[in-house]
Amino acid sequence: MQVRRAERVLIIGLDCATPQFLFGPDKFDLPNLEALRKRGAWGLLRSCDPPITVPAWACMTSSKDPGQLGIYGFRNRKDYSYDGMTTANGASVKEPRVWDILSRAGKKVAVVGVPQTYPVKPVNGWLTAGFLAPDKSVDFTYPKTLKQEVLESVGDYIFDVKDFRTHERDALLERIQDFMENRFAVVKHLLATKPWDFFMMVEMGVDRMHHAFWRFTDKNHPDFEPGNKYENVLRDYYQTVDKHIGEMLSLVGDETNVFVVSDHGARGMYGGVCINQWLIQERLLTVRDELTGLKRIEDCDIDWSKTKVWGSGGYYGRLFFNVKGREADGQIEPEEYESFRDEVIAKIEAMVDHEGKPMGNKAHKPEDLYKEVKGIAPDLIVYFGDLGWRSVGTVGFDSIYTFENDTGPDDANHDFHGIFLMDDRTGRGGQEMAGLQLMDIAPTVLEMLGVDVPADMLGRTIR
Amino acid sequence: MDKGITVRLTGTSVAETTRALATRLVELGRKVEVIEPAHAERMGGDSGAALACRLLSRNGVIVVCSYEGREPEGEWVEAEIDAHDTPEFAAEKILDGLAEAGVLALESSDYTPEEEEQIRKRLADLGYIE
Repeated sequence: MQVRRAERVLIIGLDCATPQFLFGPDKFDLPNLEALRKRGAWGLLRSCDPPITVPAWACMTSSKDPGQLGIYGFRNRKDYSYDGMTTANGASVKEPRVWDILSRAGKKVAVVGVPQTYPVKPVNGWLTAGFLAPDKSVDFTYPKTLKQEVLESVGDYIFDVKDFRTHERDALLERIQDFMENRFAVVKHLLATKPWDFFMMVEMGVDRMHHAFWRFTDKNHPDFEPGNKYENVLRDYYQTVDKHIGEMLSLVGDETNVFVVSDHGARGMYGGVCINQWLIQERLLTVRDELTGLKRIEDCDIDWSKTKVWGSGGYYGRLFFNVKGREADGQIEPEEYESFRDEVIAKIEAMVDHEGKPMGNKAHKPEDLYKEVKGIAPDLIVYFGDLGWRSVGTVGFDSIYTFENDTGPDDANHDFHGIFLMDDRTGRGGQEMAGLQLMDIAPTVLEMLGVDVPADMLGRTIR
Repeated sequence: MDKGITVRLTGTSVAETTRALATRLVELGRKVEVIEPAHAERMGGDSGAALACRLLSRNGVIVVCSYEGREPEGEWVEAEIDAHDTPEFAAEKILDGLAEAGVLALESSDYTPEEEEQIRKRLADLGYIE
């Protein structure tokens, strides 16, 4: 099927929106999204590796992989020092994104809340930054005058949910809902008042809901209690989002091609692997501290002369090797680097869980995942238990497994597949599509809008 | 002294783009003068305006002009505004051109150390990092 040219393209991004709630047997009742699915095409959208908000949205909008972007997560090594880390914000994305290309082609764009858009860069249109902007005191819009316009017309601009790690769930739920309502209010204001050709927004609240309330709704989660007061909060939240999407679609007109996409999915998280605790156990990491309680690895006194590997926590694991001639007190001979890396991979993939069952871990070399490896990548990228377990960097646990998150309540992890819905007005009638990935979105949008697709984009046009 | 130059705008949305460009140049710390058709009239016409461009630009001023007729004197460039561009984006394109020509340096903004720490804490609170 040919790509149908469109006057306008709208991308509705729902961070972490997960296929089981839209397409699975227990899908929620979401009339607007379901109508979109029945009119157009739908499927699973494979995320990048790692399947994390940063770099996933940047991969989608640039059609480059994390290695090409040199962005392997929110925090990346800026050099080979032991503590030199930097946050991957908008300035870290050196590749043009779909709205940059469209701007240069004379298309008017509007971009709302997409991660890694602060510090803001000029666009041919209007942009409000995503959640990596510090606060409202900074210039978080382009043009700068849009900031006042948004604050006057909507009343506020919420970057993210405050005080996320809390057991006060009622208050947290209210804050996430406020965040979502604010995001859609900004979107509707811009949809109605700006002459855009391309519009993209990202709603982050879906992700926050999953992390905060998963255990209350997932009947397979070990901590699920039937009849709990939050049992339907995810369904209710998705339904409110669906209502807003319906209102958005009523504003955009018939000549608009519409996408609803997510950067990754979600799944239950059952525990954490204390990666540095495991490295200590394997005698690959030595800390001088007397560990009488929990301590962040960043706060530990690491004996680098007796350390070959250290790790970072998060929804996936990152391992960094201490290589002679590269790190200041390197302990791995460069010629032994590859064989040592293979040894560590074998050990990680042979790990068993707390019940002695194989975890199904996967450890990847960056060069095997990416077309190029720019910047400083982790030496290994690790998924524990197919992402059923997170990586915990803190040390001082009495086991390498923990069922308490060291950063507070969190019952969901990311999953490799997000959602894809597209109504390109070609009468696809609910066509299921397979083999889609994040990087296919940008070239498809460009082709729909009649703009040449750069040859170095990794994705393919969805037809 | 900063290098001066005259930028002559043509095309659509000239007045709006002139304002957007002048605003950005002031933000970048540059001395700016705007010579629109009404100003040229008060200078006795296009020849007076052309001379003013030379006098100002040789003293480090960036002159943004849109009067018609005689070309500006001194060093000058013409910028034709794309009808599809917003005034702000058209101004940014002109700034890019001036930066490439070595007339000015564009700022590259990033977090301050305090902002970086603020964001790091936010990411830790959200569970992305520890």
